[in-house]
Amino acid sequence: MGLGTTIAAPLAAADRQAPRPALPPLRADLKLIADMIPAGSRVLDIGCGDGALLDHLSRTKRVDGRGMELSQEGVNACVRHGLSVIQGDVDNDLDPYPDAAFDYVVLSQTLQATRHPKKVLESLARIGRHAIVSFPNFGHWHVRLDLLLHGRMPYNPMLAYTWYDTPNIHLCTIRDFIGLAAKLGLVIEQSLILDRSGQPWRLAAESRAANWLGEQGIFVLSKSGR
Amino acid sequence: MICSNVLGGCLGTSGPMDINPATNEPWGLNFPVITIGDMVNVQRRLIDHLGIDSLFCVIGGSMGGMQVLQWAKAYPERVFAAVPIATAARHSAQNIAFNEVGRQAIMADPDWCGGDYLRQGRSPERGLAVARMAAHITYLSQQALHRKFGRNLQDRAKITYGFEADFQVESYLRHQGTSFVERFDANAYLYITRAMDYFDLAADHGGRLAEAFRGTRTRYCAISFTSDWLFPTAESRAIIHALNAVAANVSFVEIETDKGHDAFLLDEPEFLRTLGGFIDGCATLRGFVWA
Repeated sequence: MGLGTTIAAPLAAADRQAPRPALPPLRADLKLIADMIPAGSRVLDIGCGDGALLDHLSRTKRVDGRGMELSQEGVNACVRHGLSVIQGDVDNDLDPYPDAAFDYVVLSQTLQATRHPKKVLESLARIGRHAIVSFPNFGHWHVRLDLLLHGRMPYNPMLAYTWYDTPNIHLCTIRDFIGLAAKLGLVIEQSLILDRSGQPWRLAAESRAANWLGEQGIFVLSKSGR
Repeated sequence: MICSNVLGGCLGTSGPMDINPATNEPWGLNFPVITIGDMVNVQRRLIDHLGIDSLFCVIGGSMGGMQVLQWAKAYPERVFAAVPIATAARHSAQNIAFNEVGRQAIMADPDWCGGDYLRQGRSPERGLAVARMAAHITYLSQQALHRKFGRNLQDRAKITYGFEADFQVESYLRHQGTSFVERFDANAYLYITRAMDYFDLAADHGGRLAEAFRGTRTRYCAISFTSDWLFPTAESRAIIHALNAVAANVSFVEIETDKGHDAFLLDEPEFLRTLGGFIDGCATLRGFVWA
């Protein structure tokens, strides 16, 4: 309530940031995701980090964008930047959203760090008419070789954590992911298999080659019959 | 920028200290009990009077945050952006309890005279000071109090084994109490705390807070502070969940600080930067030109 307490002086004009300084160029996989989203869509970006994708989409495609981010620094950076972002946890904070609240719900490089990936995937398909999910492929030949030849947990630029302090508690292969989507009755509308530099291979997601060669996969999913 | 005094207060807008035109005497307890909704209606009349159709941004902390939420619910088409800070959509049982302690302190003061102290030329200063002391503790945090005062003694080398203000924190609180009395009216304190107690934005909607916001086109930015135990982050999160349930445009930040509820009145750089960013973003959307 603070009845009658003195109020601190506002920030001097020089301390305020000019609105929307440009962010660095988009990461390759985020650029591909951005290309999948039509102009003017309603978008929820979950695990939006510093807001790079949302910022790009709002600048170039006039989307009505929202974000959710776990880290406080990320959220504050986004809001400072004029983006609509809430502090939240994908495992716990998706339930309040109504069905089909968004045209696209994006979950990039986060599914493997969730506690309940199956429930999260269901929620994404419920609150978005389309869900775009990207994740590192644990079936990549490098990962398989690490285990087969060296007997060590994989450690590479895509999975740059030691086994004992990784946030990635639910890693999966491209084939695993396709299996879960099928189990949940989700339709794969589009898929991209990316190499290390984030460039797409021309491979069908269901192919053996995709599961050996892809460093990450990007999938657009929707509920069947929508 | 419009900043009006609150209905029921004693520093401008009508309150129990003012003269009742029917009797030519102070209203005292004959002043009607008022609500947050009444406060907002008075503000709405003010902007009508000023000829302002819609507000770019309604900002407030604590009880002011309740007014922000009330504005957004009652006059959605007149609020482009709303920033409820360190607040809640309904007053919690704990907060009602603290308010009740304050009111009982005032009413237990013999100088309160059943609320008639102005006519009788008296002033319930001790009761009001105690009310303020109790409330002031709730604006701070355990860490902030300890950082500021620890167990330091006030103007003495040793404890006195008596009931003087041995500790600096006691002296500080007594000062907070007595200086508040100089600027605040005891009956106004009763009315304003009661207005907060009665606030429950979901009450008109069968307890479903989301319904209070259905169809809203206002952009929201809720802000809470980690060490605020009067309006803890969970209260802001409840507002956010309700807004998400109607797919409203929301931002939410929790600011790390040990300064407790008071943080919203203090120079917290991260808080001010975030708020500035939100307002700038809204200004761009609204088509304001950045000079």
